[in-house]
Amino acid sequence: MKPLLGVMTNNPGEVFQRNVIAGVEEAASARGYRVRVVTVPDRQVPDQSFEGLAGLLVIANAVPDDVLCRLYEGGLPVSLVSHRLPNLPVPAVAPNNTQGIAILVEHLVVHCHRRRLVFIQGNMEQNDGIQRDAAFQQELMRYNLNIPPQYILRGDFIPSVASQALARLIEQTHDFDGIVASDFLMALAAIDVLTAAGLSVPDEVAVVGFGSGPEADAAGLTNVAANVSELGRRAARQLMGQVEGLRIRGLTLLSAELVEGSTSCHADA
Amino acid sequence: MGHSNIEFWSRMKPGKATREQLKRHNRQLLLRAVYYDLANNRAALAQMTGLAKPTVSDLIAELIDAGLLEEGGLGESTDIGGKRPMLVRFVPDARHVIGISLDTTRAFGVLSNLSGQIIARHYADLDTLRGDEVLVLLTEVINGLIAQLDAPLLCIGVGVPGVVDNDAGIVRQSEYLGWQELSLVEILANHYNVPVYIGNNSELIAIAQFAFGTEGDTAPENLVTLFVNEGVEVGVAWQGAAYHHGGDIGSLHLSNSQRLDKLLGWEHVQARHAELRHQYPNTILPEHDLTYMHLRYGAANGDDLALALNDELASYLAQLVAWVTGLLRPDHISLVGPIVNLGESFLDDVARKAEALLSPALVQNVVFSLGYSPNMSAIGAAAYAIQKELDLI
Repeated sequence: MKPLLGVMTNNPGEVFQRNVIAGVEEAASARGYRVRVVTVPDRQVPDQSFEGLAGLLVIANAVPDDVLCRLYEGGLPVSLVSHRLPNLPVPAVAPNNTQGIAILVEHLVVHCHRRRLVFIQGNMEQNDGIQRDAAFQQELMRYNLNIPPQYILRGDFIPSVASQALARLIEQTHDFDGIVASDFLMALAAIDVLTAAGLSVPDEVAVVGFGSGPEADAAGLTNVAANVSELGRRAARQLMGQVEGLRIRGLTLLSAELVEGSTSCHADA
Repeated sequence: MGHSNIEFWSRMKPGKATREQLKRHNRQLLLRAVYYDLANNRAALAQMTGLAKPTVSDLIAELIDAGLLEEGGLGESTDIGGKRPMLVRFVPDARHVIGISLDTTRAFGVLSNLSGQIIARHYADLDTLRGDEVLVLLTEVINGLIAQLDAPLLCIGVGVPGVVDNDAGIVRQSEYLGWQELSLVEILANHYNVPVYIGNNSELIAIAQFAFGTEGDTAPENLVTLFVNEGVEVGVAWQGAAYHHGGDIGSLHLSNSQRLDKLLGWEHVQARHAELRHQYPNTILPEHDLTYMHLRYGAANGDDLALALNDELASYLAQLVAWVTGLLRPDHISLVGPIVNLGESFLDDVARKAEALLSPALVQNVVFSLGYSPNMSAIGAAAYAIQKELDLI
């Protein structure tokens, strides 16, 4: 019988998680592993979900930390995707959030000459959201940008939340010329809101977003291509390495690269 | 690659050697010639290296069997006509290499192919680990990269803060890691069953900058890297070769009788920040969790505390720059480590202060740069391992 890897997700249909799972399944099947995807929308994980597993992969914060601690201490190999356990050396795989945000801000400031930036935050309870927010704050200091606190918008990695926040800001002011969104789906939602408000993209407001996917490509969004399927493949390899006896600690980082679309400017602008 | 390679060619002359050593040397000679695109078929390789054609054919066959070279396409026939030669080319993904940098805060690793292209990155924080615990963490980071291998592992390179005997494979002293007379090469080579090479971090950064170019520039001929984090280290790459006696100079006492690492190291910066807050109570710098980026931002906005602290740091660093410039006359000095977040205006200030300590003409001949990549030592460790194992890069 081929060894079985479990993947815990709180929403297998959501774009990010769907692509991660596709990457996991591809890498696992290439090495002769089976994959069982378990959906835990409310973070309530039945104990029988772990039966027969050779290892467990958890996407973001789908499983409560105390359950993860118990599993880790029980000896089950565990790998996390875009999540960290503060006090346990459970290995993880994540996009390089700091590098990605730095690339996006550099593109807007240095190449597109935009300095009045709006930032749409991700979910501030998730590692990716927290790190991208911190990275944006750091880049504001690098380029000596002073932006009002109301230019930091709540987005939660949910496009409708981002849309509402941006629409409220536009009601107060149009005095911004660039938007950095913590993920590409929120960036696309922002473009819709700007267009509906009669603001042209990128002439009046340049828009960039973290991560990539078919939706970003179709819209010509300038983004940093943190390949989500590759994230899944790397996570599966990390987990299979543990199942096969490698003791691993720390974080495997995926690089981010700028993909210039039509929503910002070209590098020689 | 960022540098001309002809100068390396002269290093390849063999001395007295056993038959096996000679064969290995000739294999590397051919591999280098193809890697640097100096020749791309058997006849041209024979002409270039002076080796007999049958010898070249045998060795190229071995390199193809090993997966390091592959055949593909036909070249042009010579002026006098004749059969078009079968071309050979280098296969960068034939092997992977792991490069690890241990600094005072984390173990950071890269998995690269033979051209230095990064395949994966993995790191873990050191926290309060010291001594044997660091060794365990090091293997756990290497394992994180082994899990991502797509090709056989050729070798491992490790950069360490402190005094390293590269040839003996021993870390003589690393205060930050709690290592003394540690046979790191032997331990890792026995564990992973591949060749392992070690060096001082700043020396490996110099190799990385030489091999892959400095920030926004091609690789300089004579380069000095000044690595400032908790401590202060110097690395030198001189006409393509790393100088192996650089490293930790934190214990050097400046003219005011203070140790260099007590004046420039991050611990000191934080302590001075706390002291100066009494003098500058209206500072915009945060009381806690200060970073170099805060100092840069504060200085850019005219904050007196940030300006005073930047000025102090620039003065200390200028003394080091003046010594290095006066003694070595490098054509390039690169500042690396988290201190680079102080930015270009800080670097300009350092250069101006160094000019005041030395002849301005000497300092003005030097190109100064900031090495922003936090992975540079790990990349250098991988480059160094490739250099030692295949004499490439």
